[in-house]
Amino acid sequence: MHAPTRLLASQFGSPHGVTAQDSYVRLLWHLAFYFALPLGLIVLGGIAWCLVRYRAKPGSERRASQFQYHIPIEAAYTIIPLIIVAVIFGFMFNAENHVDRVSRAPAVKITVEGFQWGWRFVYPNGHQEIGTVANALNINSMKNLPVLYMPAGETVQFTLKSDDVVHTFYVRDWLWQRDLIPGVHNVADIDVKNPGIYDGQCNNICGQYHAYMRFLVDVMPVKQYKAWYAHQAANSITTAGVTVSS
Amino acid sequence: MTVIQEPPGREYRPAEPQLFEIVPGPRPHGLVKYLTSTDHKQIGINYMVTAFIGFLFAGLLAEGIRTQLIVPNNNFVTENVFNQLFTMHGTIMLFVFLGPFGFAGLGNYFVPLMIGAPDMAFPRFNALSYWIYLGGFILMSAGFLTNNGAANFGWFGYAPLTSAIHSPGPGADLWIVGIALTGFSGIFTAVNIISTIFTLRAPGMVMFRMPIFVWNQMVTMFLILLAFPVLTAAMALLWIDRHLNGRFYDQTHGGQPILWQNLFWFFGHPEVYILALPYFGVVTEVLATNSKKPVFGYKGMIGATLSIGALSMGVWAHHMYTTGAVLLPFFAALSLLIAVPTGIKFFNWIGTMWRGTITLNTAMLYSIGFLTMFLFGGITGVMLAQPVLDFQLHNTYFVVGHFHYVMFGGSTFAGFAAIYHWFPKITGRKLHEGWGKLSFAIMYIGFNLTFFPMHPLGLRGMPRRIETYNAHMGWNFLNLLSSVGAYVLAMGVLITVWNIFRSYRKGEIAGDNPWDGQTLEWACSSPPPDHNFESLPPIRSERPVWDANHPDQLTEVGHR
Repeated sequence: MHAPTRLLASQFGSPHGVTAQDSYVRLLWHLAFYFALPLGLIVLGGIAWCLVRYRAKPGSERRASQFQYHIPIEAAYTIIPLIIVAVIFGFMFNAENHVDRVSRAPAVKITVEGFQWGWRFVYPNGHQEIGTVANALNINSMKNLPVLYMPAGETVQFTLKSDDVVHTFYVRDWLWQRDLIPGVHNVADIDVKNPGIYDGQCNNICGQYHAYMRFLVDVMPVKQYKAWYAHQAANSITTAGVTVSS
Repeated sequence: MTVIQEPPGREYRPAEPQLFEIVPGPRPHGLVKYLTSTDHKQIGINYMVTAFIGFLFAGLLAEGIRTQLIVPNNNFVTENVFNQLFTMHGTIMLFVFLGPFGFAGLGNYFVPLMIGAPDMAFPRFNALSYWIYLGGFILMSAGFLTNNGAANFGWFGYAPLTSAIHSPGPGADLWIVGIALTGFSGIFTAVNIISTIFTLRAPGMVMFRMPIFVWNQMVTMFLILLAFPVLTAAMALLWIDRHLNGRFYDQTHGGQPILWQNLFWFFGHPEVYILALPYFGVVTEVLATNSKKPVFGYKGMIGATLSIGALSMGVWAHHMYTTGAVLLPFFAALSLLIAVPTGIKFFNWIGTMWRGTITLNTAMLYSIGFLTMFLFGGITGVMLAQPVLDFQLHNTYFVVGHFHYVMFGGSTFAGFAAIYHWFPKITGRKLHEGWGKLSFAIMYIGFNLTFFPMHPLGLRGMPRRIETYNAHMGWNFLNLLSSVGAYVLAMGVLITVWNIFRSYRKGEIAGDNPWDGQTLEWACSSPPPDHNFESLPPIRSERPVWDANHPDQLTEVGHR
């Protein structure tokens, strides 16, 4: 890519997401910067210009002009921002409709449950993946974290639940999060395009071990996921960091 | 007492009837004055000093937060203490410092002076309001002295984490009572200042001749009247839940935890404008005074303030985008719309400097600092106002960065501008300009070093309020930068503290009108006498002192 094109396509520090919804997020970032950069520069430039040009110089006889109103200019900086805001809102409205869409027939349904302090992922056949911070108190280690297994390239529907306090289900590479609130029924769809291991974390202060309330997401190609799922017995429980001896 | 020079070529007669009899005799001073005074100026000083102590205390807590996060996997404080640090940092900064310093401290001292009133409408009520506020400050801080420590669930204390089961101990109770008391104090101050503005304006001071500072204070007070009772009620419900077996926020018995979020943010969003509007007023006055010009677009400015006030009542749920329980487009539209009146204010501020003669004193520097950083915070605010981007950024350090650019780079820098601008009026002595400019430079560098790195940190997915982090997340260097910045910032603040102590004793004598001011507070002596004015200049515009001192440079009539 040429340098100017690269600059125009830049998200100014925001990473690219790995979900199908990412294109909408990226569009909004571009839009935000196309408007924010010039507007910010105009305002900063205006401030700097006034400070340099109109600074009182010792010995100068110039006196401050005493006008108070300039209707055309005032009208312009009221109406133009209104238009900009309307445009941003239009794009945002469209994006939001796509990002928040909930499918009637998702490929996989998983219940995500947060608790103080850990995660429980429940699959349709009753299989549970559990992990608690008691087994993962070394912040520099990714071992013993609960793992959410899911397929790539398919719509996965999460039902988000909490029975104690408010938690938030947040995976940074998805550029997305949703709260788990007792008493609120929350359903959301995610379609992750790229298989891989992603790190997730509770994103709402939930007590002492909030910082340790982490999890991993293992996004697998569909075939591999199906094989994994077939291998899980109904109502079985896998606890991260605990080896079951049969 | 009055200090206005006789204007060349035109005379005005001081008002003849003596409205207030000056009672001769010994006046209380020092501690007795502090304890007994109902004078709006003394109470204003009490508020400002108390609030500034709160600022230094909460700032110290913030240094603790940054020290814990300076390297990954750090053990400077325990998880529980860390949670107390950020909770009390936020609580004290918002409920003790930023709000009361602006609407109660500056409001008390300068609103009556600027509208030519002898005192507030209800002086004793005013004193009561201060003492309740002080009680609230002491109670919420006293949590640190209890067994389990202070409140530790974040300054917006989401239910049910605040329940008696999840947060036992008196720390949380002290937090509830402390906030409720500062809430009552705010309501009392609002009633008082609104009454003062509506009933005690001097002859000639019609509403459209009030300084922008007074207009902003008035809108702030209405927001307080709408928002604070909701907060106090929410706190009362929480108290009932904790101690009287209430079930308002308890989902296991039919309560609704999300009710708390709605109540809290219904207060919380007007609150950030309560924390901002008085400081917008400060900046407006400082810019106009130091540019030697009338405020550009005066009526448009008032319209912008009124529409910010109105819109701010309808945007609370933009703090709740990720709950999945609010109507996103409605709140997004209103939140985005706030950018319009805020933009009008920016262009009016630039217009105020346009073709003026600008003096860059310390107050002006802090105001310019305010403009640049509030601009940045406003732009990131437009990003956060969009639900789709908020799904990515909510509760990450991006939000922390945005909030501090608005509240610290914005409001607090304007608060420092107010200190440098009005210290001569309050004490009769100027703050030292050299120390002031040094303080500004160090604060400006330190501030940006602390809070700019938080934006990339948030984009890289660092959640707020985590006590420690994995060394392999790509967050190490930015956190180190931010913590170093926090120490630099503290140095800058301490220089101003030193400047205040130094100049209070041996600062340059200011005189009554050191900055060639425009509004009525500059018409009385520094410090103003009891009941403020013996006579007033004629009030024929929003800057009567300027008109009296510069009759050949009156505001141009009409518009272009």
